[in-house]
Amino acid sequence: MSQDIATIRVTRYRPEKDGKPYFQDYKVPYRKDMVVLDALNYIKANLDGTLTYRWSCRMGVCGSCGANVDGVPKLTCASFLHEFKGRTIKVEPLTHFPVIKDLVVNMDDFMHKLVEIKPWIIREKESLPEEGEYRQSAEELERYDQFSSCINCMLCYSACPVYGLNEKFLGPAATALAYRYIEDSRDEGKDVRFPIVHELEGVWECTLVGECSVVCPKGVDPMLAIQKTKILGATNALKSLLMPRGGK
Amino acid sequence: MPKVARLHAILWGVFSMGGFIAAFLLPVLIYLVGIAYPLGLWPVANADPTSAILNHHHIGTLFLFVTVAGSLYHGIFRFQSTLTEIGLAPAKRALEAIGYLIIIVGILAVAYYLLLLNPGVLSLP
Amino acid sequence: MSKQKPFPEYRRKLGPGWWLHNSHFTQYMIREWTSFFVAVFSLIYIYELSLFASGAKDSALALMRNPGIIAFNVLALLFTLYHAFTWFYLIGKVQPIKMGKTTSKPWQALLVNIVLLLIIFYAVIQILVLR
Repeated sequence: MSQDIATIRVTRYRPEKDGKPYFQDYKVPYRKDMVVLDALNYIKANLDGTLTYRWSCRMGVCGSCGANVDGVPKLTCASFLHEFKGRTIKVEPLTHFPVIKDLVVNMDDFMHKLVEIKPWIIREKESLPEEGEYRQSAEELERYDQFSSCINCMLCYSACPVYGLNEKFLGPAATALAYRYIEDSRDEGKDVRFPIVHELEGVWECTLVGECSVVCPKGVDPMLAIQKTKILGATNALKSLLMPRGGK
Repeated sequence: MPKVARLHAILWGVFSMGGFIAAFLLPVLIYLVGIAYPLGLWPVANADPTSAILNHHHIGTLFLFVTVAGSLYHGIFRFQSTLTEIGLAPAKRALEAIGYLIIIVGILAVAYYLLLLNPGVLSLP
Repeated sequence: MSKQKPFPEYRRKLGPGWWLHNSHFTQYMIREWTSFFVAVFSLIYIYELSLFASGAKDSALALMRNPGIIAFNVLALLFTLYHAFTWFYLIGKVQPIKMGKTTSKPWQALLVNIVLLLIIFYAVIQILVLR
């Protein structure tokens, strides 16, 4: 019985040897339950131990395995081989990020932006454990819940042409996370986060292409978060214009 | 919020309102003055629609001002945001300045011409 | 974190035709370019108003009867309607309305707003032209 074979066309880049990346084809056995990550692991274990890529949980919660599969930013652990037309599948490093080696990209820009928006609860005064827990109603939770699903996989940055054209753009995930904390009833850090998201290269660069929300594997809908943050910014600016000494 | 960003936030808010104006009010204006009149279609046949609209002094003048000013602002603002995407990023500052100039001159012009055509419009009915 | 990178990273630049490679992006660019027609029609009409205001009514009307201008206006109307429909859908996406347990969907926003557009279209004609 002839075995079903798939061809995985992977980007290779060895910085010490290659001037630019090139494609290398590997033939892997094709099984209906295989994901792209399984194929990469098969290659590394059996065909070419030098293939370099990131992965961890293999179940779509850690955000490590992002790559461009057939031109679309996807988690390799969540992309079944049978989703793709034909038996040749192209796997490239996540677009819009510098390539360190093979499929490994430099994440520094995103990590910097993530820290910049301060992804933690900011309060003037933390209440002590003895005082009990912070209480939050179901409605209060719903205002930020979906945006807290972000796994920092950066697929949205790969999908966003604005980020691709302008690296200074704050970007979808960072804004969605900033919004997640702004809308959290326990958080008091609006004044700290607003200047970051509302600077010129913050949300204002976004032109609602919407591809970020299309590729997000966790349903965060960063485009929605960005739009809501724009509205917050516009109303905030209007308020400060009409009440310069007054209300916050 | 830094001053420039605050200004941009307000400009964005106006652009957003302009989007609704261009969506709801511009189609009927284009149809009336640009298609129905020259082609003799309903409802104007060969009667000049602009004069008909301006005959309704206050509401007609307001309609024309809001539609034209809002659409002009929205169109130019939105086109400006595509400059980077069509590869004109280096000229962005200059083109944005020209764009804002056209907006200001255009809005002043439409207000001026409408006032000439309906001088009594600023006095309350 | 390493301070000095021993080997070069490969940086890929986004080419000018980036929006041609993905149908979502192509639709997006067409949507944004409706702004060109919206702006240019407004400028043409401002020019027409200037002709009216200076008493040159015949020139004003001749301008609108110019075949090239008519062709542009047909395109402008089509693109403005495309703007309107995509705008309604976008607003539906970014401003979902809660109706009890359910949330509104973008296509519902599109439908409701198209109806509203038709009402306003008819109302403007009734009030400002036919009366």
